[in-house]
Amino acid sequence: MTSAATLPRPTAGYRRVVECMGTVFSFDIRTPGVGAAAVDEAEQWLRDVDATFSTYRADSEISRLERGEITMRQCSADVRTILAECEHLAVETGGWFSMYATGRLDPSGLVKGWAIERASDILARHGSIAHSVNGGGDVQCAGDAAVGRPWRTGIAHPLLPGRLAGVVVGTGLAVATSGSAERGAHVLDPHTGRPPDGLASVTVVGRRLAYTDAYATAAYAMGHGAQDFVEGLAGYAAFGVRVDGAMWCTSGWGNETGGSAG
Amino acid sequence: MKRVLLSTFGTVAGLIALLTFKSQGHPLTTTGALPSAGLPGSGSSSTPTTAPPAGGDTSGGSSSAPPPAASSSSAKAASRTVAGDAVETRYGVVQVQVTVSGNRIDNVSFLQLTAFDGRSQEINGAAAPILLQETLSAQSAHIDNVSGASYTTDGYLQSLQSALDKAGVR
Amino acid sequence: MASAISQGTAPLHLSPSRPLRLDPRVALGMIAAGALAVIALWWQDTFFVQGLGDWLTNAGRITGLLAGYAVVVLLALMARVPALERGVGTDRLARWHAMGGRYTVCLSVAHTLLIIWGYAVAAHTGVVHETGTLLTGYADVMMATVALGLLIAVGIASARAARRRLRYETWHFVHLYTYLAIALAFSHQFATGGDFVSNLKARVLWSVLYVVVAALLVWYRLLAPVRDLVRHDLRVAGVRRETAEMVSVYVSGRNLEAMRAESGQFFRWRFLTRGLWWAANPYSLSAAPRPDLLRITVKVAGDHSAALLNLQPGTRVIAEGPSGGFTAARRRRRRVLLIGGGVGITPIRALFETIPAGTSDITLLYRANRPEDLVLKHELDELAQHRRAHVHYLVGPIKRGANDHLSAQRLRALVPDIADRDVFLCGPEAMMSVTRQSLELAGVPTRHIHSESFVF
Repeated sequence: MTSAATLPRPTAGYRRVVECMGTVFSFDIRTPGVGAAAVDEAEQWLRDVDATFSTYRADSEISRLERGEITMRQCSADVRTILAECEHLAVETGGWFSMYATGRLDPSGLVKGWAIERASDILARHGSIAHSVNGGGDVQCAGDAAVGRPWRTGIAHPLLPGRLAGVVVGTGLAVATSGSAERGAHVLDPHTGRPPDGLASVTVVGRRLAYTDAYATAAYAMGHGAQDFVEGLAGYAAFGVRVDGAMWCTSGWGNETGGSAG
Repeated sequence: MKRVLLSTFGTVAGLIALLTFKSQGHPLTTTGALPSAGLPGSGSSSTPTTAPPAGGDTSGGSSSAPPPAASSSSAKAASRTVAGDAVETRYGVVQVQVTVSGNRIDNVSFLQLTAFDGRSQEINGAAAPILLQETLSAQSAHIDNVSGASYTTDGYLQSLQSALDKAGVR
Repeated sequence: MASAISQGTAPLHLSPSRPLRLDPRVALGMIAAGALAVIALWWQDTFFVQGLGDWLTNAGRITGLLAGYAVVVLLALMARVPALERGVGTDRLARWHAMGGRYTVCLSVAHTLLIIWGYAVAAHTGVVHETGTLLTGYADVMMATVALGLLIAVGIASARAARRRLRYETWHFVHLYTYLAIALAFSHQFATGGDFVSNLKARVLWSVLYVVVAALLVWYRLLAPVRDLVRHDLRVAGVRRETAEMVSVYVSGRNLEAMRAESGQFFRWRFLTRGLWWAANPYSLSAAPRPDLLRITVKVAGDHSAALLNLQPGTRVIAEGPSGGFTAARRRRRRVLLIGGGVGITPIRALFETIPAGTSDITLLYRANRPEDLVLKHELDELAQHRRAHVHYLVGPIKRGANDHLSAQRLRALVPDIADRDVFLCGPEAMMSVTRQSLELAGVPTRHIHSESFVF
């Protein structure tokens, strides 16, 4: 595979849709010459992650850890990494991101974004410098969608199905949205155990999806405090839609969004 | 010969005029220059500290210089990120964000929103329904993908993303 | 128009019922509006231009868009659309096409260079490497590159220096390759054009533009003439030698009024017989068109016209047209001066027959080098008598200065109120440029001088 700076090809390229982890992953590669082989490896990676981390599978490491069948030391490096990061995030977000929000061990707020980020890295290792991976509404992009044209990620409007609340444009961005629109009350306020009120959805934009996704989860749980929280994060920006339809965003849309990757 | 010169000059002048217009309108103002240096320990803007199982870590497809802020966590950041003025466009209010190092502009990106200023929200509180009606339709916004609250496999089928995926499949 | 104008006792002829005529300024306005729309497409797709790579790439995009648009405009100009032929005039259309063609080739070259350079800067590689990447990474770009090569070749072959050396047929054959170039380059517009990639509406509109122009071409240049052949049953009725050098060909048909030809116009004639069928040569009508008869009078010069002498009655004819804007519709003044020289007397003779005028409102000047060169003289004399018009035969060699037959002094002497007349002028290039100068010297405003040049 060429390692040269081949240009993304707008109406060609390679696309695939993969069902995994109870959701759907959309691969969109714009770099010519990178195709099935890369996505095959990325797909396998996602399935491996699902096998390891899914709380819906009784034989996943996470489930077994939860039941006490294995100890932390016996877990794979990935699991230990993830759990360590979750701890760190809990501290950083003042508890608003927690792997125990549902009452059981559930690091999926970090795992999905992290899995997508790694999948994007797999594509990059196969030579892609322009692609996007969308897993269930969380997006990791690399490069531009076409020469001189950055990726345009629409933000689904949480209150008006089929419409967009805004569009995020940038190079190599990670875009994560958390809200109640789809799955109902799947995000719970860890402090109260109930769905947060105040926000219909919040979108956090950063460079890499693992943390972006985690921050989005935390921000949504925070509700009214989300804006100040993301303001305090260097390298991230957020855009929120309140339950009454009003919208806000953090100032200057932060650092590191659309950095010179790709 | 005169016509040749005239048409050549005319074309070049026209191109320069068009391009100049498009490169202006966003004066750089430092609205409290935001630090862009490396983040305290979290490594969130660069690769995480542990190696992923699948192999060497590469920041997503970068083929050129490494991201300006990832490396230096020194106090004096080599690059600065500044926000331009918000400008009215047909999509709503656009604000440009520029990463500058020294005198050179490293990167420009920008955001489009229908409304962004918290204060204008209060003033226009009663106008909230109008704001909703200005929301974009997926067709006219020319988007590549959609970010939204998580969808399940069933939910995907109704989602905007699935419409985009279907259109892109050949 | 003044009330004194009447048809006189001109013989039965056709008066076409106001066929559609597109004014040249309107045509130019439409072309310019299209160009602005194309630039607007780029404008609304582009948000911010920053850095050398962006500047180059976007300049490349603009020139590419304009070239893609210019190409269909050029084709449309040559589609033989009657409204354009009548309104703008065939010779002016050809001039626009030639100028526009040169400009378009330059735009295409500029587009290519700017894009390569811009992409190279954006990808931080060298220009040579980038060219290789572009060529090998996309099939469409390879085709577009071949197209560019063809365009450049056609451009070179069309340069004046080259055209003089090439036979008309050879030049025409090379020129046909532009169709191939356009077809090859079309797909890369959509595959790699930043303004089309995610804009379905733009792609649809652009395709519609190309399809419409293609349809015009196919209809007016291919299908309509064949339809006319069948519908009007055009055939050679006879051939008559007028003078040593001039031959008249009579073409019979039916319902010829439906072709809406006007005096002063010409057709491109394709005689379907061995040796002549592959060429469509332009010859003016030398008499007013009649519902069942058209006449052309041709100077026997090259192989083609010499072969006309041997045309057999009954030979089928395809008449592509009518073309040309050298018609009575250009006239603005009550009084008219017709000046013809050499083979240019043919459309003048047709106009002389039908241009509306009253007593003494028309004067005709016929310039020839020798008395035996005067053709259709008896017709002109008869018409002059019927229409109460004046005819002057200016016969003799060319003289210098004020003594020349077509000097300003002589013209003013022959036609004292020349500055108040509409002047219709047709003849060899040299004669026409001399006459134009004289007319201007004699005080005729340029907008009242109408001419048609056969060399285009």
